[in-house]
Amino acid sequence: MSGPIDLDAPGGAERPDELSAELREALDGLRAEIRTRFPVREPRASFERIDWMALFQQLQRRLSTLGMSERSGEVDEFGMDEIVLRRARPLLDLLYEHYWRIELHGIDRIPESGPMLLVANRSGLLPYDGLMVSHAIWRTRPELRPRFMVADWLITLPFVQPYLARLGGVRACRENAERLIRTGEAVLVFPEGVKGATKVFRERYRLKRFGRGGVVRVALETRVPIIPIGIVGAEEAHPILFRWDSPARVMGLPFLPVTPTFPLFGPLGLLPLPTKWIIRIGEPISIDHLAPDAARDELLISRMNEELRSEVQILIDTGLSDRGSVWD
Amino acid sequence: MNSPGVIAITGLGTFLGRALVARLLQHSSNLRIVGLDLRRPFRLDPLVRFHSVDLTEPTANIRVAEVLAEERAEAVVHTAFRSEPTADVEMDHELETIGSLHVMHACAAAKVKRLVVTSSTMLYGPWPDNPNFLTERHPLRGHPGSHSVANRIQVESLLAEWRARNPDTEVTVLRNCWIFGPTYWDHVARYFSRPLVPKLVGYDPLMQFVHEEDCIHALLSATLRKHPGVFNVVGRGVLPLSTVLRIAGKRILPMPPPILYRMAYYPSQGQTGDPPEGFYDYLRYLWVADGQRGWDAFGEPVYTTREAWLSFVSTRRMRRYR
Repeated sequence: MSGPIDLDAPGGAERPDELSAELREALDGLRAEIRTRFPVREPRASFERIDWMALFQQLQRRLSTLGMSERSGEVDEFGMDEIVLRRARPLLDLLYEHYWRIELHGIDRIPESGPMLLVANRSGLLPYDGLMVSHAIWRTRPELRPRFMVADWLITLPFVQPYLARLGGVRACRENAERLIRTGEAVLVFPEGVKGATKVFRERYRLKRFGRGGVVRVALETRVPIIPIGIVGAEEAHPILFRWDSPARVMGLPFLPVTPTFPLFGPLGLLPLPTKWIIRIGEPISIDHLAPDAARDELLISRMNEELRSEVQILIDTGLSDRGSVWD
Repeated sequence: MNSPGVIAITGLGTFLGRALVARLLQHSSNLRIVGLDLRRPFRLDPLVRFHSVDLTEPTANIRVAEVLAEERAEAVVHTAFRSEPTADVEMDHELETIGSLHVMHACAAAKVKRLVVTSSTMLYGPWPDNPNFLTERHPLRGHPGSHSVANRIQVESLLAEWRARNPDTEVTVLRNCWIFGPTYWDHVARYFSRPLVPKLVGYDPLMQFVHEEDCIHALLSATLRKHPGVFNVVGRGVLPLSTVLRIAGKRILPMPPPILYRMAYYPSQGQTGDPPEGFYDYLRYLWVADGQRGWDAFGEPVYTTREAWLSFVSTRRMRRYR
């Protein structure tokens, strides 16, 4: 019977070197063997030497898997697709760097790891803000990709729904937030909800009511920190002049916004304007000092909710005063 | 009660009933299996004691109670449900709701110690405001366009009442999602085996399947061991509908929902007695169930959603191999 290998025994220090030398030799031998068995083809010099048959077979294979290659066979349990994300990255980078020229402040305030709730102000029709905040954090912290929550009417909107889910959007509801946190994910929520998305231009950067304190309640129940985030610029990307309610009711939408471009130029009018964005991340609000049964204290929840709202408002105001104009 | 000695199975001819009998016969030789159905199934094992019962008769409860008392049944597995809806809406109601009620009453009269009922996660219904994972506590909202789902919801609510009145009986409800596998066949499998599959354009919900083996295994464990309560029986993982169809190499016919619903109205009424919404809304919105409780109770499923689907696809030779 042989005992465990004692690395401190005499001669042990040389052993790894000996081993690696042996290994290198063996690998060289293997390489030489491979080279003799599979000779490298000469680069094709002329037109006549193109292997038409191979090209044809390759084309056939490409055609038969058309539409398969840009998606993976597997998605995660909320429908996010790594391959779609990787494909979308250049576009997201373009939007991030050149279209909205996003400035990110305070990324080091985000905890190293573990689940957390990120709370931001909501604006605009399509959830570009969620996508961009999530992307901003992912660019600097590749191991962390916050899942952003999307309102019901948007996550079931035809044509929008499949893409949002593949890019990491999740329907905003308590069950989903709790489940994501329990699996250790960072969750980006917009407590203003639809009220935030339908803010008209003259109400910009004035936060609406933060729901009924659901965010704080989830944080208290799951014991995760809350991180306030202020987004400046997104509210001007879709300046809503006024809401036009009667045709919206006919179409079954919650609202029909009228922007300088939207119903006028059709779907093209849905393109956001290239405003300058500033994303400001605030100090995490820790809940460690609170008792575990604080989730049942409604007054505490509403006070914390109001504190959170003013925290986000301060971040927005700081961002606004730092900014020169809407465009730069 | 841990393991019952006499097991009665209603709906011996259904897929689950038949598969359960085969498993029970393999499992142990000192079990006595009693089968109830309208007709004696083809090539029934001679060890199974068969009784012909028509659950749609008004006095079926008396007849079932007689059989259960005579055989001294300790556990009843109720699988007498149609695998697909029929246009005969009244008959479906008689068999599924009233038939289940008869079985419940008979179980109470015969003092059966365990009752296992199969159900479906379709009962949660496809709704835009469903959370991504529906737990067993979620209300059963069903779909207004599907009468068979409505019947099953009635069965579950009657069963909940019955359970409150009969606390001595262990009641297990198994809600399985869409079953796929080499031998299982129903209207869902038929939809997916069409050469040209109509799909609602603009919608791509996440789908969840369970393999027939995992489904039968859960039913077997619920029959033999003590697992009172409601369980979702589903496979791990989800797949978008578009990926499901692409794996099978299907040609997709994209249709806007209003046009499909109008065009398919009469064929669908004739076939299932329901408007097409009753089926196609399940391919429009999310209705994925959280299977954690079931996995904890019956063990890890062998097949994931993807593997269940691949097993169906490969046995049906749907995939175009290149």
